[in-house]
Amino acid sequence: MAFTIQFVIDVLSLGGAYALMALGLVIIYGILRLVNFAYGELIMVAGYTLYLTGGSGLPWIVMAVLALAMAVVFGIFTDYAAFRPVRAKSVTAVLITSFAFSNLLQNAALLFISPRPRYVPLPEIFSQTVVIAGAITPVRNLLTIAASIVLLAAVAFLMRKTTLGIAMRAAASNFTMARMLGVPANLIISLAFALSGFLAGVVGILWIGRIGTVVPGIGLEPLLVAFIATVIGGMRSLPGAVIGGFLLAFIDTTLNYTLSQDLLKFRDAFTFGLVILILLWRPDGLIKGPASGQRT
Amino acid sequence: MKPSHLTALVLLAVIVIIGVGSHLIGIRLYDRIATNLMISLVLVVGLQTFMGNSGLLSFAHIGFMGLGAYTSAVLTIPSQMKGMALPDLYPFLTAVEVSPLLAMVAGGLVAAAVAAAIAYPLMRLSDAAAVITSFALLVVLYTVMNNWSALTNGPRTLFGLPRTTDLPTAASVAVLAVIAALVFKESRTGKLLRASREDEVAAAALGANIPALRWRAFILAAFLAGVGGSLWGHFITSFSPKAFYLKETFLIVTMLVVGGANTVTGAVVGTVLITVAYEGLRGTESMLNATSFGAGQVIGLTEIVLALAMIAVMILKPGGIFPSREIGDILARLRARKETRS
Amino acid sequence: MLDVRDLSVDYGSIRAVRGISFHLAKGELVSLLGANGAGKSTTLKCIAGALKASGGSITLGGVAITASSPEQVVRAGLATVPETRDVFPDLTVAENLMLGAYIHRRDRAGNRDNLERVHTLFPRLAERKHQAAGTLSGGEQQMLVIARALMSRPTVLLLDEPSLGLAPAIVDRIFEMIDTLKRTGLTIFLVEQNVNQALALADRAYVLRLGKIVASGTADEIRSTTDLSAHYLGG
Repeated sequence: MAFTIQFVIDVLSLGGAYALMALGLVIIYGILRLVNFAYGELIMVAGYTLYLTGGSGLPWIVMAVLALAMAVVFGIFTDYAAFRPVRAKSVTAVLITSFAFSNLLQNAALLFISPRPRYVPLPEIFSQTVVIAGAITPVRNLLTIAASIVLLAAVAFLMRKTTLGIAMRAAASNFTMARMLGVPANLIISLAFALSGFLAGVVGILWIGRIGTVVPGIGLEPLLVAFIATVIGGMRSLPGAVIGGFLLAFIDTTLNYTLSQDLLKFRDAFTFGLVILILLWRPDGLIKGPASGQRT
Repeated sequence: MKPSHLTALVLLAVIVIIGVGSHLIGIRLYDRIATNLMISLVLVVGLQTFMGNSGLLSFAHIGFMGLGAYTSAVLTIPSQMKGMALPDLYPFLTAVEVSPLLAMVAGGLVAAAVAAAIAYPLMRLSDAAAVITSFALLVVLYTVMNNWSALTNGPRTLFGLPRTTDLPTAASVAVLAVIAALVFKESRTGKLLRASREDEVAAAALGANIPALRWRAFILAAFLAGVGGSLWGHFITSFSPKAFYLKETFLIVTMLVVGGANTVTGAVVGTVLITVAYEGLRGTESMLNATSFGAGQVIGLTEIVLALAMIAVMILKPGGIFPSREIGDILARLRARKETRS
Repeated sequence: MLDVRDLSVDYGSIRAVRGISFHLAKGELVSLLGANGAGKSTTLKCIAGALKASGGSITLGGVAITASSPEQVVRAGLATVPETRDVFPDLTVAENLMLGAYIHRRDRAGNRDNLERVHTLFPRLAERKHQAAGTLSGGEQQMLVIARALMSRPTVLLLDEPSLGLAPAIVDRIFEMIDTLKRTGLTIFLVEQNVNQALALADRAYVLRLGKIVASGTADEIRSTTDLSAHYLGG
């Protein structure tokens, strides 16, 4: 019993974090058909904001809000620096600029902060544990589950019930037509980047809550996770991304419990091999997104 | 003279001038930089054969370079050193010791064989799916290199490769790579592939089997990457899998797109420019580090400047410095214009 | 209402529209006729702001909209129904209509009245408002894109080949609907290949061939003086 509960909590907390990561990537991909390679760096930005405000004596919650705000600001900044100037030119150009922008942010952190891990202030609650039906559970896992439920519900509400959310979904399926109805293209794209940055910020805080430190390369793993989850779930479907996140967490956790140490080292090779196979089978991912679409 | 021959002549002249020039100056540092430049040329020109003709971005190239380097290492590390360098090596490989030249060809062939075996189905994909799979492929190759301790010594540094790559060797291989890229570009496969880049439907209507064409280009690119990796391995003599990951990918992609991915001229010019810029920035960095008064190390400045340069090029000239015409075509046109004027 | 002067549009190096001029008076239904590739859709896309003009001017109610973005054109009062019948397939009918009113999104009362009017015109859409638009039939999707365009409360409506690919019975109903809209006083620019039905509705018409206007006049004049089949079939 205790084992089952532990397993379920592991899958749900990891899956929640993965789902949020994937969602942040798909929101951009859905609208622009472009992969944002600098997505992982938004998580890094949130982490370093926590580190830099660490000595300020502000209450932790204020630092967390600042970290979120910075991730949002850098999300919008990504749009202006890497996407907007080349959006109309070519797909390859945008992929390259976002790749370059990712390198830029990482190396800026190397240069201006440090290549070494930096401790991030975390409230007590992140290191406490509770016992649920005999399973010792870190509270941060429960926090992750709670945060992901709240956020997934909030994003679902935004996308289904508000005019802006519906406009974003419309833009994702047919950008030109949405513009012909008066939906302002640039505003919608910036909003998508802001939302993507917000999700990255939350993921950043939760993710760093597990590790306790931040390094310039911290964004790579979440980016890879988001890639896999979106590919599993369907590259243009928001619910698909969430499902993909949980599915990947389930696979990862199962592998963690079952694989021997020797094979566990190859886990990334297995999961990425799986990604390649899925993309071969269904180039749009497992769950089909909106039927058509073009970029501006 | 045909423009394509003119292109070959000009590019080869550039390589020879750089090689001979840096050798004549007689400064060891320049010799080292020039050798590095030649090795980069092999890699970047190799990437160009795939990216330039197919129009698809590939992030996996450096992974194939790693395959070449490790193949060459396993084949050339002297058998008495293998016990230390590769303690877990399979017994049948411990006695193997071939000449570095042979190992270089083997490195290229292994990379090409791996590419041929896994890449065919990937070539059906376009756009984001193609990019993500190539990225995934890089991660897979990296993970395998990082963990297949028997062959690679795992994440630890592998040492003991004989140092056989010098400037003349590297320059000769670079010359061959440039010729291979130019010949491939003008071959039937290369021409059809470039037609497919402009219009997939029309090329398919002409009877072009696009995945098969891309596959050939990908294998050639992997072969050149493997050769480049072997060349580099015998230059640096010790390395770890970290050398074949994102940072290096970023560097060669920068070289190619700044110069212009569609042309071999662009690949050569981009490699030369970025190498000069890179070495210059590195020099500045270490100078700053030497003079700074305990203010901490300056790292990452080089990459920041390169990233900014790359974004600037993409905004101002998305096709790079040589976006569509090879240097030979440009010179031939200039001459024709001059003749009509006089 | 809508005044187009010396309009030229290039597609890459090809000049698809070569210096055409026409105008629509308030409440008029004007038709643009021509064969495939004559430049009709290009003209329309350019007016809608989706393509850049390479020469000439477009004014709407005296305001220049030549260089406007698609968003600005709708705000200026011109709604476009493209030939591709672009519903947002994953959104419900109600959500599609709601987006049609995007530029008036703060005027909730006005939108409610307008929605009621649109529902009276297209009762089928009211029945299916919670259904995903992608599940509608071709004719229903055509109604939805027209209805959605009306939600922006346009002064001029551009219709691109509303009969394209629909069954004859449905085509008749679509044209009836256009007639009803015309009688509400809406200015309509109708691009059609279906010459006879378009001329039956239109006050005036222009005939486009290879990017140039080769004939214009009232519907009767066009019918009687122009050798329609010659221009229409490109012969």
